[in-house]
Amino acid sequence: MDNFRSTYKEETEELLADLESALLELSEDKENMELVSRIFRAMHTIKGSGAMFGFDEIVAFTHDVETVLDLVRDKIIPVNKNLVDLTLAACDQIRQMIEKKPEDNETDNVSEITRSFKKLIPDKNVSDEKTETADNDDLESISEPKTYRIRFRPGPDIFQYGTRPILLLEEIRQMGDCRIIGHTHAIPDLKKLNPESCYIHWNIILTTSKDIDTITDVFVFVEDMSQLNIEIIEESDLLNDDGEYKKVGDILIDRGDITPDDLRDALNSQKRIGEMLVEYQRLDPDIIESALAEQNHMRNLVKKRKDIVSASSIRVASEKLDLLVDLVGEMVTVQASLTQKALNMDDPELLTIAEDVERLTAELRDNTISIRMLPVGTTFAKFKRLVYDLSQELGKEVVLTTRGGETELDKTVIERLNDPMVHIIRNSIGHGIELPDVRKSLGKPAKGNIHLCAEHSGANVLIKISDDGAGLDLDAIRKQAVKNKIIKPDTNISENELYSLIFLPGFSTASSIDEVSGRGVGMDVVKQGIENLRGSIDISSRQGTGTTITLKLPLTLAIIDGLMVELDKTCYVIPLAAVEECLELTSNIVVNGHGRNIASVRGEIVPYIYLRELFKLESTPPETEQIVIVRLNNNRVGFVVENIIGEHQTVIKTLGKIYKNAKVFSGSTILADGTVAVILDPYKLVEIAESEELLERNQYVSWLSY
Amino acid sequence: MNINETNETSVQYLTFMLENENFALEINKVREVLDYTTITRVPRMPDFLRGVINLRGNVVPVIDLRLKLDMSAIKKTVDTCIVIVEIMIDGQITQVGALADSVKEVINLDPASISPAPRIGTKLKNEFIKGMGQQDGRFLIILDIDRVLSEEELDLVKSSGDMEILKQKKGMENISEHIKPVKPVIDLDAPDNDFIGRDFTSLDEVVAE
Amino acid sequence: MAKTIMTADDSASVRQMVSFTLKQAGYQVVEAVDGQEAFDKLQNNSVNMLVTDLNMPNMDGIELIKKVRGESKYRFMPIIMLTTESQAAKKQEGKAAGATGWIVKPFKPEQLLAVIKKVLG
Repeated sequence: MDNFRSTYKEETEELLADLESALLELSEDKENMELVSRIFRAMHTIKGSGAMFGFDEIVAFTHDVETVLDLVRDKIIPVNKNLVDLTLAACDQIRQMIEKKPEDNETDNVSEITRSFKKLIPDKNVSDEKTETADNDDLESISEPKTYRIRFRPGPDIFQYGTRPILLLEEIRQMGDCRIIGHTHAIPDLKKLNPESCYIHWNIILTTSKDIDTITDVFVFVEDMSQLNIEIIEESDLLNDDGEYKKVGDILIDRGDITPDDLRDALNSQKRIGEMLVEYQRLDPDIIESALAEQNHMRNLVKKRKDIVSASSIRVASEKLDLLVDLVGEMVTVQASLTQKALNMDDPELLTIAEDVERLTAELRDNTISIRMLPVGTTFAKFKRLVYDLSQELGKEVVLTTRGGETELDKTVIERLNDPMVHIIRNSIGHGIELPDVRKSLGKPAKGNIHLCAEHSGANVLIKISDDGAGLDLDAIRKQAVKNKIIKPDTNISENELYSLIFLPGFSTASSIDEVSGRGVGMDVVKQGIENLRGSIDISSRQGTGTTITLKLPLTLAIIDGLMVELDKTCYVIPLAAVEECLELTSNIVVNGHGRNIASVRGEIVPYIYLRELFKLESTPPETEQIVIVRLNNNRVGFVVENIIGEHQTVIKTLGKIYKNAKVFSGSTILADGTVAVILDPYKLVEIAESEELLERNQYVSWLSY
Repeated sequence: MNINETNETSVQYLTFMLENENFALEINKVREVLDYTTITRVPRMPDFLRGVINLRGNVVPVIDLRLKLDMSAIKKTVDTCIVIVEIMIDGQITQVGALADSVKEVINLDPASISPAPRIGTKLKNEFIKGMGQQDGRFLIILDIDRVLSEEELDLVKSSGDMEILKQKKGMENISEHIKPVKPVIDLDAPDNDFIGRDFTSLDEVVAE
Repeated sequence: MAKTIMTADDSASVRQMVSFTLKQAGYQVVEAVDGQEAFDKLQNNSVNMLVTDLNMPNMDGIELIKKVRGESKYRFMPIIMLTTESQAAKKQEGKAAGATGWIVKPFKPEQLLAVIKKVLG
């Protein structure tokens, strides 16, 4: 700062010299307005710069001088000797002020000169003494959060002023909890579209503790060329007695989008009001969407309020939760033993107690697991930054959109989902989305899109990661597969089968080791990560239009519905989600297989695996054996076991580090009799069986679309 | 063991038998000793990994120490026990059960009385032995259980999903590579050094000589 | 790729302060002492934003803004004017000429940066 001050002093010295010579010229040539401008400018700069570097005295002093000079410019005050002399005196005064040490006493000169200048100013031009400073920005009034409805409709020529509306929306977004709905219905056909005009307007619902002035300030540069309405939405007015937010129709009326008559017409039909109004062509869908967003926003707000008021949520260390889940797991095991014991003893009273314990345990278990559930959206949000950074780095333009963020998954699953998803998204940006120029030349929008979507599907959650990029390069994959001796050059292999090859270890078509991928971490690691979560991964792609990767994940890692089977007096558990049916391995099936492990199940050919053989069990097989038919993605495969014991809900225990190589088992569980049973991983079993040639094989290694 | 000696300098050991040999473990490695219980085999894993047991709701792996130490597999008798030890795997304290033919007692040994592992005669991998102690005129092999169950020792399975067990090298062809210069338990300059080159089946025979 | 901002001001101290603040924030800065020099330098540099004073010799700020807006490559560039007059007239004139926004002197470095963020991102 001192550095700036000394520059200011030097500069002021120069300006004063210039001022004086101009003043002297002016006294000779009183009509020369160019000189007046020069004098005004110099004084103006002294004042303006003085304010920047804390010469407050000079600012206060030059303020009046400048006011007079401005009036001289406007020919309200004439140029005369008095004016020139006074201004010269002012110059001397400023000189003294610059050199002044803080301990120097103020001279009377200042007030003297100031008074003289003030005398020159005609009454109506007396400005009040307030100099405008921007300091009041620091005093943002923090108050109770309020909700505002902001409608921002920039003028069509807003771009001509170098304005970027998105930045203003971003500024609003940072003020609090907000929803922004863009209205695009005014965008005309491509033929009529003027790319330099702005056709979009926005509705924003914002809950913030900032006051309305602060919000208005965001639009300070554009308010005169835009329509801007900012209203406070008072909760109390909007909630009916049940604490419900107003109906969409009422909101639309509030917002002036429809008239009460429209609403009446629409209500006479049975459809949802929004659809109805759209059908009536009275409203564009975005307007309804905007009203719905407002409704939701307020609902959530009220809900949050209520939660805070009733203090109904507390933070708990996640270790405590994990411990609780473990304890519940043990409880389930003990309860199973109790039920079995009660059944064996045939004591009705004990049975009643056992049933009660069973019911309570089930409730306790479901409750505990639901506590550990978190919305998957928390991870989605993290990827926004990743996408932003990475697309910057690679010179690509990518926007991340998400859907279904409210879908809940077990905390542990969400945590362990992070790395695989990061890798998939990196791949999408690195290899999928093309550079803006390339996209444009292909007739795509310059901005690529990555879409994350989560949805429930039975006892699983599906997470889809889609991009609208180049898609997978089938030829490159085929070449690579031939090179790696996975397939022969003439192998006939379907597209999906080719895609699934990218999950093989060491399989990468990345031609260069770039920043994004190719660091030896391939899709096989992603697949491994997902499978460790007992999930599966599937890929579909169209060259030129993009790729979608679908992750199928269990809701929770703690509990699994299993089918208990028996082999060589040992129990095994097969995840029930994959099991389709069970049938006896009859001699008929064996005969018809002609020495191959193939069963014809209702006309469909199903290969099967002898688990006895795969597990290298040496006891003699029993007379009859059973086949458990399992569906893995789009293929069916059978596992031959000795007995099927039944369905069983089990608490999953990890096998621990020592068994980290036991890949065909995804974990273990404790049975009612206290012994341990291992849980089979059907996918891995098939992989191993293939590699050991227990399965009928085609001419390429993998018939499974993983 | 002299009763008047203070216990401060001595360390406690749990002694147990494997194939008629006396072994010992530092007591601070041992969590508890269990009677034999049902062990569930995990298929397609090396034989010395006997399987898993339910230990109060936790699933704990059990190792056949005899197989791990290149002896014959353990035969279950009434005396068969599972010694639960705590070792570090991947930086985490992990409980592992070790099968023993029988568990004897807890004894005190003075560290000064423990000699380094001998070069010959134990049939064990040299690095598995922490040292040799004596009790009632019998030798005790003090196991370095962390080494026996170390990651590289357990990681005998290729992680590619192909479960072929790597063939361990049997025998002691390369034993010299493992031998660190240690003070031999048998003084070669002693007059009765004629058992060099002879094959003893157990340490006790050496002692008997 | 750091963005480049031009500061046009006849006051050396203000230029210095603006330039210093922007460089600290990671922008590249081109300085000009008046409207004419600013306009000439814009031809030879690729500038992402202009911060200009209004009162300058050899072409004032208003004139500069008009001329810059006439250049096809700068039609949509954010332009911020420095004013001390809170009078609407000057501001209006600047706006009419095509300025994106304004900063009232005196201002603090952080206020400058806030405005830059608002118009340049």
